[in-house]
Amino acid sequence: MFNPFSLNEKTILITGASSGIGRQCAIACSNMGARIIAVARNTERLQETLSQLKGEGHSCYSIELSNCDDIKSLVAKIVNENGKLDGIICAAGIERTMPAKLLTPADYEEVFRINTVSAFELVSQATTVKYFNAGGSVVLISSITSLIARQGTAAYSASKGAMVSGARVLAAELSKRKIRVNCISPGTILTPLMQNFLDTLNEDDYKKRTSGFPLGLGKPEDVANASIYLLSDASRWVTGQNFVIDGGFTIQ
Amino acid sequence: MKDFIEKFAEAIEVEDVAALTAETKFHDLDEWSSLSVMLTIAFFDEEYDKQIGEKDIRESETIQDLYNIATA
Ligand SMILES: NC(=O)c1ccc[n+]([C@@H]2O[C@H](COP(=O)([O-])OP(=O)(O)OC[C@H]3O[C@@H](n4cnc5c(N)ncnc54)[C@H](O)[C@@H]3O)[C@@H](O)[C@H]2O)c1
Repeated sequence: MFNPFSLNEKTILITGASSGIGRQCAIACSNMGARIIAVARNTERLQETLSQLKGEGHSCYSIELSNCDDIKSLVAKIVNENGKLDGIICAAGIERTMPAKLLTPADYEEVFRINTVSAFELVSQATTVKYFNAGGSVVLISSITSLIARQGTAAYSASKGAMVSGARVLAAELSKRKIRVNCISPGTILTPLMQNFLDTLNEDDYKKRTSGFPLGLGKPEDVANASIYLLSDASRWVTGQNFVIDGGFTIQ
Repeated sequence: MKDFIEKFAEAIEVEDVAALTAETKFHDLDEWSSLSVMLTIAFFDEEYDKQIGEKDIRESETIQDLYNIATA
């Protein structure tokens, strides 16, 4: 059957694969035939992700991404044990919601280190000739806060905006080897953790936080499906873009 | 009390301190937003070394109520 979105024979490394969006991306990509390398901190939860994947040959690795110096050796180990990569999804990330007045330089540095610097370090280490097949694809999970203001997210938004502008440069530099780099910017996605957070809000704040989405709130699958497109050969002519998946939030 | 009102106003970024009294219902202030809750929690921590929660703020109505927590 003709399927331009097939990920057959592709090996895809996914960070943040122990939870939420990253986990769903791993499940979706495995359903499309990919071999998954799941990366995050917690081995137990990574194993749980593996148990939900379709097909054979998946593996998982635990890393604390804020130790950026460990990324190089991890990539070497992964490729050594699994062969060259065809795709990367960077979905690991943290949020620190606080009025800008209360954010400290240390908060900015921590958020940037985990959300942005570790992703760029991973991409630059993993997309070398030795480790990455030509024609492969990189997907960075940004956020609509890269485009719009949500109060209390100055550090997070800045880290996500930096991802989008840095991705354009990586896309230009890696285009020589037909490697593509794109961002996905999701609106509010009902992951288990997001659901827990929303449950703590009072009625007013809940309404505020969840309104403005013409198509309602998103599901992890909505982001995962977009990642399939961006990792597959169907998007071979798409690079350096910020793909907004937000149920229409930013159109109005 | 006057001192408390001034510091509280500064914490939640209210310009017009003179408009605030012990009876002011702070939830109704134009400047009050969901972020003010975090600013107020930080204010109690820094100024009074008191760890209060969102619930304490939600259950308080007037600046007097907050003052009572601060001086309790
Ligand atoms: N949920 C949403 O509404 C939403 C919206 C827009 C963007 N995003 C972005 O999508 C990504 C995934 O979000 P999610 O909602 O699934 O979050 P989540 O908290 O469920 O998952 C985060 C993942 O990142 C990993 N991680 C965090 N810090 C790490 C560290 N220091 N080292 C290694 N791994 C680490 C965790 O292990 C976990 O697997 C994040 O980058 C987030 O900013 C989420």
